[in-house]
Amino acid sequence: MAAWDLSVTVEDLGPDAPPVTISVASDLHVGGVIVKLVEKTQIKRDWSDHALWWDQKKMWLLRTAWTLEKYGIHADARLIFMPQHRPLKLDLPNGKTVRLRACFSDPVFQTVMGICRQLNIRHPEELSLLRPVEEKKKKKDKDLTEEIYDLTEVPLSSVSRPCLYNGMPAHFAESEKMEAVYKMLSITQTPPAPEVITKQYRPASVVDKAHINGRWLDSSRCLMQQNIQENDRLWLRFKYYTFYELDPKYDVVRLTQLYEQARWAILLEDIDCTEEEMMLFGALQYHISKVSQSEPQALSTNTAMDDLESALLSLEVKMEGESSSATELLETMTAPELNDYLKIFRPKRLTLKGYKQYWFKFQDTSIAYFKSKEESIGEPIQQINLKGCEVAPDVNVAAQKFLIRLLIPAPEGMNEVFLRCENERQYAQWMAGCRLASKGKSLADSSFQSEIQSIRSFLAMQRNNSGSSSNAASSDESINTHSLVSPRYHKKYKTKQLTPRILDAYQNVAQLSLSDALMRFLQIWQALPDFGLSYVVVRFKGSRKDEVLGIAPNRLIRIDLGVGDVVKTWRYNNMKQWNVNWDIRQVAIEFEGNVNIAFSCVTADCRIVHEFIGGYIFMSTRSREKSDVLNQELFHKLTGGHEAL
Amino acid sequence: MEDIDAMFSDLLGEMDLLTQSLGEEIPPPAPLPNTKKEVSFTMDFANFNESLHELEDTDLDALMADLVADLSATEEKLTAEIQGLKAPSPPLPNLPPPPRDLSFPPAPYDSSSSSSSSSCRDSSSSLVSTSATSPLPPPQAGKPSKEDIEAQMKADKIKLALEKLKEAKVKKLVVKVLMNDGSSKTLMVDERQTVREVLDNLFEKTHCDANVDWSLCETNYELQLERTFEDHENMVEPLLAWTRDSENKVLFQERRDKFEVFKNPQNFYLWKKDKKTLKDMKDKDKELLIKENFCGPSIIVPDLEGVLYLKEDGKKSWKQRLFQLRASGIYYVPKGKTKSSRDLVCFVQFDNVNVYFGKDVKNRYKAPTDFCFVLKHPQIQKESQYIKYLCCDDDWTMRLWMTGIRIAKYGALLHGNYKAAEKKSVVSSAWTNRSTPSSSNQSTPSPTIRAKASSQSNGHASKPQPGSDHQDFGNLPPPPPPLNEILPPPSPDPVLPPPPPSLASKPSGPHRKQPSGFPPPPLGIDNNLPPPPLPPPIDEAPPDFLPPPPPNTGIGSFPPPPPNTGFGSLPPPPPPPPPPVSSLPPPPASFGGIKKSLHPPPQDPQFLPPPPPDPVFTSAGAPPPPPPPPPAFAATPRANARPAGSVKKMPPAPPKRTTPVAGGGGGGGDLMSELMLAMKKRSDH
Repeated sequence: MAAWDLSVTVEDLGPDAPPVTISVASDLHVGGVIVKLVEKTQIKRDWSDHALWWDQKKMWLLRTAWTLEKYGIHADARLIFMPQHRPLKLDLPNGKTVRLRACFSDPVFQTVMGICRQLNIRHPEELSLLRPVEEKKKKKDKDLTEEIYDLTEVPLSSVSRPCLYNGMPAHFAESEKMEAVYKMLSITQTPPAPEVITKQYRPASVVDKAHINGRWLDSSRCLMQQNIQENDRLWLRFKYYTFYELDPKYDVVRLTQLYEQARWAILLEDIDCTEEEMMLFGALQYHISKVSQSEPQALSTNTAMDDLESALLSLEVKMEGESSSATELLETMTAPELNDYLKIFRPKRLTLKGYKQYWFKFQDTSIAYFKSKEESIGEPIQQINLKGCEVAPDVNVAAQKFLIRLLIPAPEGMNEVFLRCENERQYAQWMAGCRLASKGKSLADSSFQSEIQSIRSFLAMQRNNSGSSSNAASSDESINTHSLVSPRYHKKYKTKQLTPRILDAYQNVAQLSLSDALMRFLQIWQALPDFGLSYVVVRFKGSRKDEVLGIAPNRLIRIDLGVGDVVKTWRYNNMKQWNVNWDIRQVAIEFEGNVNIAFSCVTADCRIVHEFIGGYIFMSTRSREKSDVLNQELFHKLTGGHEAL
Repeated sequence: MEDIDAMFSDLLGEMDLLTQSLGEEIPPPAPLPNTKKEVSFTMDFANFNESLHELEDTDLDALMADLVADLSATEEKLTAEIQGLKAPSPPLPNLPPPPRDLSFPPAPYDSSSSSSSSSCRDSSSSLVSTSATSPLPPPQAGKPSKEDIEAQMKADKIKLALEKLKEAKVKKLVVKVLMNDGSSKTLMVDERQTVREVLDNLFEKTHCDANVDWSLCETNYELQLERTFEDHENMVEPLLAWTRDSENKVLFQERRDKFEVFKNPQNFYLWKKDKKTLKDMKDKDKELLIKENFCGPSIIVPDLEGVLYLKEDGKKSWKQRLFQLRASGIYYVPKGKTKSSRDLVCFVQFDNVNVYFGKDVKNRYKAPTDFCFVLKHPQIQKESQYIKYLCCDDDWTMRLWMTGIRIAKYGALLHGNYKAAEKKSVVSSAWTNRSTPSSSNQSTPSPTIRAKASSQSNGHASKPQPGSDHQDFGNLPPPPPPLNEILPPPSPDPVLPPPPPSLASKPSGPHRKQPSGFPPPPLGIDNNLPPPPLPPPIDEAPPDFLPPPPPNTGIGSFPPPPPNTGFGSLPPPPPPPPPPVSSLPPPPASFGGIKKSLHPPPQDPQFLPPPPPDPVFTSAGAPPPPPPPPPAFAATPRANARPAGSVKKMPPAPPKRTTPVAGGGGGGGDLMSELMLAMKKRSDH
């Protein structure tokens, strides 16, 4: 067979180096070409990651046993010999950027698997890559200051089997720098400054929300084929909202990143919620950031062990403190009390009287009051059991107003009672007592002290906020509550109005451990009516106006843009088949009962819609027995377009 | 008959004295607990006797059965625990068997406690040698220092004290439950019991088919409200909110609505679809719906939105509003605003309210329709502006909303309840078939026992995602693991050669287990044949074991434990083998010896607190020469014992038992034997 010259650009020789020309025959297989090429360059190095890229056809020549003829390569082919793994800048859900080497030759689905392996995220099938929203290039300085966490040094082989060392994958333990990267991945970020939230793009309508979904990369094709260059920036996000077996023990990074994505979705109103829900989200964020600062590594150790240990520890402490006499023992067993002079006001009895001072005694879950301390041995004037009551703060630190408002249930209805405390210390104690009592817990409950602490830290926040704005350089103890809610509430409430509302919600979550708080946040997020919906603007067959298709983990919904309402719901489990007509770019779906729909996609390629639907169906096939092996073939079968087949 | 009445009230009185915890014994005819417990106690008690006379025979029988079952259950539990612990020999007075002696803790030896008698020392010293030679190496090889051991003792004591405190506060209510046919049943409800347990109890008494729809409901007469209790709820708590003079009632009825959402989830989650699709829904699709909405990481509430009529505060006028149900509460759309989430105004959140069905609202409040549901704090019993009334256009809408609210409020608990109820119904139907021929005798002891078993399962169920295997055992008759623990008690039972003849002879192997803790006997036969069933338990309950109710009262500042917690296991009324305990002691066989040696003698027999787990571990290392229990020890029991002081009879009592225990036990013994006599007399007639 006749030999001819094939010229190949070898990337490692530098951008200006001329192509290397080798003499080949058409029956030479690709492996042979590479061997010849390497010999010719006379460079000794590990070439195992290199492969040939055929530029005109946008394809990798990965089958080394195929001959040039089989590939259809002639002398005019522009071939580039280069590494398949190349650096990529990834924007993570927490807003940080990592630079790592990703595979540019595998389908994106596998590339993401590789990335997730490096980052230690389980269930990579739930994530994918998308092209970033173009930023306005105004703030060049910001780009300069942006920190990039570099993971490109990680040898690809070591990643393959992440052995756990100290709760983190071995490759993160190699240097302090690497540990810092792991910290960034596994610890939640402190709440962003309010201005940062305000500056970010917020979708104002369903149509706005639909645009982001046009940016997802095609899972069945490789990065090179989708014109992604080395060092380009891509976003890594959770794409499918079915999170399989989230387990705080194994999913440190996954859980953290998921939380960050959810948090931003809420702060930027990507998903709608009510004011009450927003306050609860705010309270959880506050709590999470507080707890993760105080116990940064808590997540990476075995929490069950921690619990046991701390329980043992506290038992020990308790026993140390115990005297040996049984009677004393019993005494210390009895619940602690609070005793103090407070002022009480009951709006029901004629209001003019105002606050009156009594000697108050807080015991178990009730409050009793007496005329004076001296008379406290006798019958109280009244005893109020707080179990099941509602407790609300009415506090103004600047004005030194410390009121506890109690709504106490009684057979006749709810009785309103105000308790007025003199100072912060007193208020924190009594408020903590009331809170616990309302939930049926006594002062002896272990959470009493931490409840006091959290009330005090909130008071501190209020003091800082209500003071002049100059002490904005506050310690991390005090968080600007505007950082915890979406910008809408920045306008609606001043921080000093917002703080008590968040504190209110906070009382229900203050006792959660870090991982419980994260899980709770995600649970509430997942319980929102609009959770899990990815929107695409479509045009239904036979309709003249744009409508929105919402794709959820278990159903499709059709939203009428005029009304803003869901007009129709189709569930996947009723679906018989779906087809894409690639020529007219139309998706057609058939449901049971002879329901047929067809639509073309406006804001995203129909391939993306197709992949979403197939992806969700794939997700629903996951089961425990085979969870460790990902059925990639099935995924591609369900999501791939005709090109993939 | 009068004899019995007298006996009966005596018995109750006795128990009350023993426990002194009875804030709430209330005359059955007016089973309404009153809100002011302490004050009313004496009065109630006085009424009690009278009211007993008014009781019908059947009521009496039932109550008796309950009581006896309680007692025997407690006793069994005790023996079980003793077995498990092997530590506390003191409680077994009549105990001849030498092996028993082995179990004497050497502790008293060193204890400086004044109470320990010399004889005790003797036995303990002999013991020491045995335990020293005990072949079983401690599982944990650590070498406990003296301090460790002391620390552990302290821990023991702490536990003991805590348990006593809790125990002391346990209340019981006598509740009259109205049946469908207008009759009523009177039962004793422990304040820790869940509705599920009470239902199980009722199944036994009523021969009903135990299907999942059976429910307990409360009616509020004054407000004309009605609510089905959820199975996981505490039974006593809502009753305590009733006012003293209220005419509220507890009904035992089949309520389809209770679990309808699990039978036909599509009607709630896909209610917008057309009727035909809903009706033709395939089972597998229903399952999928349940899985999606109840088994995921968070509970999904049905997507409900619609115009409802809201009664304006304090007025008889109603206005329309567009309401929306969310997991976080009910919201409405304010005038002139859109339906977008951010504009919604919160109408109510569910933490502090229950949802009721409002009756006769058209008449009472000029409501537009009679399909009204009501949200109020459970404590509110009278007209108040804090009660929220919402009217729907039709019955179905109302049921949608009420179910939706329950889902939002209870979430996965509901699903757990359903699964537990379903199992229950399957098991009991299986048992009906199997056990019909068997003799009646099992019935008496079983009710409580069974309740226990189910409580176990219930506990699991209430967790969002219970391991299904756990649940399995909850209701299945022969759950293997518990068996082991439970089995032993009867045999070693020192007092009585284990199972009373009747029990032992008839049922074959497996049956024997029943009394000790098994769920089995589906139908209580007690009503029909009161006499036969009773005797066995009585036999079984030897005087000393009577003491179920804890003697000490005054001390407890601790709130009674919630039904399903670990503590539940200690107290008397609930059946014997408390789950937590049982799970711990399994090793006893092997390392009981060691434990014995360490275990402080103190426990008063009345209820041996299960050995606190931690101590066991720590202690394990230091086998034979366990250092003396600190002096404190002796003091503790005494303090506790004080109330029980009335030492009536002391059986041959080993030295150790001091006042406390014996007192309770003795009294009980008398009572029981008298009672037995009385019952026999009666049955003879």
